Amino acid sequence: MTTPADDFDDGPDLAPDDPLAVILRPPSDYLGPPAGRYEQIRRGAARRRLLRTAAGVGAACAVVVAVALVLPLRPASETPVSPTVPLAPPPVSGPSTSPTPPATPTPATPGPTEGARTPVPEASTPAGPTGTAAPRPSPSDSASTAPTAVPAAPSAEPSTPPLTPSEATTSR
Amino acid sequence: MKRSRERAAAELFAALYPRLAGWCRRLVDDDETAHEIASEAFTRLWARWTAVAEPRGFLYVTAANLVRDHWRKTERERNAVRRATVEAAVSPPAEPADPSVRLLVQSLPERLRVPILLHYYADMPIREVSVLTGRREGTVKADLHAARELLRAHLRRSLDHTR
Repeated sequence: MTTPADDFDDGPDLAPDDPLAVILRPPSDYLGPPAGRYEQIRRGAARRRLLRTAAGVGAACAVVVAVALVLPLRPASETPVSPTVPLAPPPVSGPSTSPTPPATPTPATPGPTEGARTPVPEASTPAGPTGTAAPRPSPSDSASTAPTAVPAAPSAEPSTPPLTPSEATTSR
Repeated sequence: MKRSRERAAAELFAALYPRLAGWCRRLVDDDETAHEIASEAFTRLWARWTAVAEPRGFLYVTAANLVRDHWRKTERERNAVRRATVEAAVSPPAEPADPSVRLLVQSLPERLRVPILLHYYADMPIREVSVLTGRREGTVKADLHAARELLRAHLRRSLDHTR
């Protein structure tokens, strides 16, 4: 039995009477190039090479531009948050108002002396003018601050209650 | 450097073009198409000159692919014309009584066609065909054997048909 690999020792071997030998004969005809064909082919190849290079460069540039456009978007989402927070305090910041966080009482603090001159703070805090010590408790309605105001009041008022009994005794 | 490359290209062209174009003409039976195919093969070669290690094999494989495309195109056109014309019974395309090389090669599956084209028509030794197709030499020999058997069967059938 003849194996396919045995058919070839050094190349194609077809029997002379094999009909395939006629069909599979090696080519003997040559076709010379027309005039100027070589230059034409060289020009075409150079043009094609240039096009391919340009396409490669264009693709690389597109990638670079895309990356450059996409990259800043990520930090941009984080930056707006950070600037707004520090920017808010500076306009409000005043050396005298720093102990009193609410903005409305701040003008009220100097207000008591000029209470009559600026009617606006008076209108906003009508309870303020009623008692001179009232502006402090009024902004802080919470119960935690109330006790702090109470000890302050006794300092002024203790003189009065003792006086009252003493006066009563004296009156008697 | 550039001049030596230019000289090598010119030498390659002078050595291979007439043979490649002649081989193409044998397959397409048309001088103009043969020149077009050979020129396109050289253009593709020189467009990637530095990347091609074996120019001769590249040229023949490229030309074989272009020839196959040409066959497909003409076949499509022929079918379209046949469908379009009412008198379809008009003589089938001028095919020779003897089975032509083109039809025989066309009847082969693609896996067997390229080795046949390269080995018999491009006259390349089996070792080169093996390198070009990426198959082992034993595989190439087996493919050639199978192709020849198919061609023989085709030829026998064709001869029986003419009798």
